[in-house]
Amino acid sequence: MNFAAVVVLGQGVFTVLGTLASFLPPNRRALAAGLATGLLGATGFATGMVAFTRPTTMEVGSGLAQVSIRLDPLGGIFLLIIGLLALAASCYAVGYVSGPSASRTSWIALTLFIASMQLVAMAGSVAVFVVGWESMAVTSLLLVWTEHQHSRAVRSAGLWYAAMSQLGFLLILGMFALLVSTGGQSQFLNMHSAVSTGSPLLRSGVFLLALAGFGMKAGLVPVHVWLPRAHPEAPSHVSALMSGAMVSLGIYGLIRIVIEVLGRGPIWWGLLLLAFGGVSALYGVLQAVVATDLKRLLAYSTTENMGLATVAIGAALLFVAADRPIPAGVAIGAALLLVVNHAFFKGLLFLAAGAVLKATGLRDLDRLGGLVSRMPTTARLFAVGALAAAALPPANGFVSEWLLLQSLVQGERGSSTVTALALPIAVAVVALTAGLAVATFVKAFGIGFLARPRSEAADLAVESPMAMRFGMGLLALIVVILGLFPTAVLHWIALATTIPGARPITATWARIQLAGGASLAPPMLVALTVAFGALMAGFVRWHGRPRRTGALTWGNGGVRLSSRMEYTATSFAEPLQRVFDNILRPEQDVSVTPVAESRYLVERVGYEQRVDDVVETRFYQPLLAIGAAWGDWGRRLAPGSVHRYVGYVFGALLIAFAVISL
Amino acid sequence: MTVFSVVTALVQVVLVAAVGPILVGVLRQLRARVEGRVGAGILQPWRDLIKLLRREPISAAGTSWVLILAPVVLMGTSLAVAVLVPYVSTRSATANSSDLFAVVALLLVGTVVLTLAGLDTGTAFGGMGASREITIAALVEPAVLLAVFALSPPAGSTNLAVIVARRVSDQAQLASPVSLLVVVALMIVTLAEAGRLPVDNPATHLELTMIHEAMVLEYSGRDLALVEWASSIRLVILLGLTANLFLPWGVATQAGALALLVGVVAFLAKLLLFGAVLGIGEVFIAKFRLFRVPELLAGAVVLGFLAVMAAFFLVQGSG
Amino acid sequence: MSNQFVQALNLAAGLILLTAVLTLWIRRVSTLVRLIALQGVALAVLVGTVAWHGHDRQLGLLAFGILALKAFVLPYLLRRVSTQPGEAETDPLVNVPASLLAAAALAAISYAVTRPLVALVPSAQVRATPVGLTIALIGLFVLLTRRRAVSQVIGFILIDNGIAVVAFLTTSGVPLVVELGSALDVLLAILVLQILTNRIQAVFGDTDLDGLRELRD
Repeated sequence: MNFAAVVVLGQGVFTVLGTLASFLPPNRRALAAGLATGLLGATGFATGMVAFTRPTTMEVGSGLAQVSIRLDPLGGIFLLIIGLLALAASCYAVGYVSGPSASRTSWIALTLFIASMQLVAMAGSVAVFVVGWESMAVTSLLLVWTEHQHSRAVRSAGLWYAAMSQLGFLLILGMFALLVSTGGQSQFLNMHSAVSTGSPLLRSGVFLLALAGFGMKAGLVPVHVWLPRAHPEAPSHVSALMSGAMVSLGIYGLIRIVIEVLGRGPIWWGLLLLAFGGVSALYGVLQAVVATDLKRLLAYSTTENMGLATVAIGAALLFVAADRPIPAGVAIGAALLLVVNHAFFKGLLFLAAGAVLKATGLRDLDRLGGLVSRMPTTARLFAVGALAAAALPPANGFVSEWLLLQSLVQGERGSSTVTALALPIAVAVVALTAGLAVATFVKAFGIGFLARPRSEAADLAVESPMAMRFGMGLLALIVVILGLFPTAVLHWIALATTIPGARPITATWARIQLAGGASLAPPMLVALTVAFGALMAGFVRWHGRPRRTGALTWGNGGVRLSSRMEYTATSFAEPLQRVFDNILRPEQDVSVTPVAESRYLVERVGYEQRVDDVVETRFYQPLLAIGAAWGDWGRRLAPGSVHRYVGYVFGALLIAFAVISL
Repeated sequence: MTVFSVVTALVQVVLVAAVGPILVGVLRQLRARVEGRVGAGILQPWRDLIKLLRREPISAAGTSWVLILAPVVLMGTSLAVAVLVPYVSTRSATANSSDLFAVVALLLVGTVVLTLAGLDTGTAFGGMGASREITIAALVEPAVLLAVFALSPPAGSTNLAVIVARRVSDQAQLASPVSLLVVVALMIVTLAEAGRLPVDNPATHLELTMIHEAMVLEYSGRDLALVEWASSIRLVILLGLTANLFLPWGVATQAGALALLVGVVAFLAKLLLFGAVLGIGEVFIAKFRLFRVPELLAGAVVLGFLAVMAAFFLVQGSG
Repeated sequence: MSNQFVQALNLAAGLILLTAVLTLWIRRVSTLVRLIALQGVALAVLVGTVAWHGHDRQLGLLAFGILALKAFVLPYLLRRVSTQPGEAETDPLVNVPASLLAAAALAAISYAVTRPLVALVPSAQVRATPVGLTIALIGLFVLLTRRRAVSQVIGFILIDNGIAVVAFLTTSGVPLVVELGSALDVLLAILVLQILTNRIQAVFGDTDLDGLRELRD
């Protein structure tokens, strides 16, 4: 029985069902459409399984409507991510959507969004890839714009997103044009051999365009500016899908084109990737540390993680250029594991942030707090996600961070001078990023959930509905399982990074072993901690007296603490902001209002501080200003007369004819 | 995993747990003597701990399970690290799991839960301590990772047991420039991570100068006992790691009761030596302003980075 | 190539050209619409002739499709565009005699431009190609010089017809998909133009396009 055909057909069926289910009346729409999209995700997951066990290519349809499908382990990993995330997000969405996000358009767009992402991961030819990519961009744009009637920020975010995704699409189209014209092959399977004879200049051109186009989708600096605008404004289940699955497809494109199709390249390719990845990681996490909007924090954290994955790919390229396939295999494995783990924990975090948003109406960490007692399940699930994002055991982020550091460190044996300089810098950057990520997520969880509520809205929060908790719980379960027993996923990743005659990464249920000798045993670490912790807890409890709760907190004797006295997110991050203020360039504004009668007496002092995205203010705004000025000048060409415009066309045509005839 | 290796691991953890408060006592006693006071005796921290263990723990209103869980998790991770890192022997049962990054991550988990507990109290003290602690932790992590990575090339692995065993057998490494850079970086890291002068004053009660103390201000009874105990254990962990990396003699590299005994004695001696240096040094240092601490840590990062580069170039030159 | 075929071809081409030139002369919109319908019929005949001669069944089906679209559907839509009865193009930017002279000039240009093409393949079919180009250019000219919105639509249809003539004569059959695509484009364009014209009518009271200049700020 041809499993591949069955699951692919199943995806098509559920896409159609999901679209049809959106036409049901509102009270039944969410459940039916959510069910259909969830099953679409599950079928995608099954397709990923088929891709691991029986890689195959097939052609669906005929003639002009021919769709070329390719199932292989690399695509299978991404199908896995998309499928599971879709399942969790759909389940969550059933309880979450209301108002504009529960409309027919939103559900149709969601179904098509998931379907097009899965199409991209299954694409066997350039045409299918491009169609899937663009539909993914368009449907996600529709989803980002869901609440455009409510706020200006949504409209602005949508505009930035639309412009940048189309720009990225153009770059990718250009890259594919170069690629196909070089080798003459438009099927991915045959492209590698076809392109290997191309000139170095052409191959470098393809590489640069791929980096620019896919980097834009992955959110690398400096083309990341759409991410912190679009992801917060989208509905939370959409943010989870975009940040977890769509952004990962940028890395998928990079690996597919640069590692698989192009293969070898000069050293500067790897160095360039290391540079962009490192800068993205560091800048992303710095902006996340000082962000006070919860979803903006998470969006910048996505940039950080994608930067880390790019660092891994860059290291792999360096190793390939130095003819060392095993460290290269480990590095690619690290990139893939980073992407997989990030998808799940970031999805979980966004869903939890959405739960908070729905319960309190707030995204501002400075006004949240006290949610751990009011929304206990959500708080615990967010804690799991935060643990993973901070790369601490027992969550999955720890394993991928370990693998990344190992892949960078093991490269030092027998390396060239350039590599010997670049890799330590990479290790330093990754280590600094890891430390700052811990600070970020301690802030996010500690300020957002612990202590007392800082505003009335947070005080009135209630726990999320069952559907939302179920969706989040599924992702949390995956995060913990992947953190303790990453065997299965590492096995699949190893399939995607096959090197003849060697196994760079081996994993048993209790231990991960690398070909260079390093190993990690997450269950052992957790078991030790839990054992000793339980032992000590039992020991001291046995010796000691029962706990008394409900006492007053120490307030320097006599002061009743109010929530205004708690640390806020801004104050928590202030020391770090001060350390890095050359990069972040916070803007401070002090306004002094004197008393009317005398300007020596002060009536009021106002203080405002903002941390804007430096790349946006120093790089994009000037470019946009130039563009606007040019557009203003160009208006002189357009006086409003339709006839004049047609006259331009007519004149151009006659001139063209004259040129041709002569 | 033989019985002997399990015994070795247990001996190590019990030793570290027992020696922690004693080391703190030694430091305080040394300081007292140098300052011209009689001092309370080496065993005073133990007496304090036992007293606290019998007292009633009080949790303030508005706090959550995070506050209650933090001391237990802190203790658990600290003891887990005590088992993993090779102090008395490189042949304990868990030796092949003692990857550097895993150890650093476990220590960081402990720091994180304590920070969260500080935030959970909802007081300005807790928030302030948490904020400062996490700034320091974020900047310490690259320093410690780079410093120990610099020592890994000759051993070919990032497993601490393998690194220490290699340094025992290959004494020439100990005097290399890489080693010197790393020892300075690790000393700075130890001071920062364990909350000693000049980064943090463990004896202060002024909120302006508090980091660790501010986070644990709300704890009492057995919670406070666990936290204080864990922080002394962490001091032993860090000092012990530094000691074993630079004076690796005495660490048992074979299985055997005699080797184990020698390892225990050697460990205690090295700990005492480093502790004495630290204690006396502390008398003459003043605490840094908080905003100068990042400069100090940046210096440690740069030293670590230079050490890594030197190690890479040395390996490349020889290999 | 039989004599009958050549005659039928030239007849159809000539009819198309005639209707195109008449578009420049006629003022009343209702007559213009009938003229466009007639042109559609002539185009269908042209395509049918080519199909008959080449024994191409697909092309024959296409001819029927073109008949349906251009002789019936498009004129129907056009009638909806012109909302006022008795509407007429009263004041073109270039007056009628000058327009007719311009049409002659455009025909000359088309012949000059397609000379290399005819030299390449001197068959009767290809020799009729300049007609198509002339019609396209006339369509552009109509767009350029007529004020009413409905004239813009007519100009657009003329361009499309002209391109279709060139396509059928030089390639004896465009792939079905391409033809479908272009037909869809035309249909969509006219629907949009219809809606826009009605809006302009509602806002300004008449469909003189120069009134759109008021919108510029």
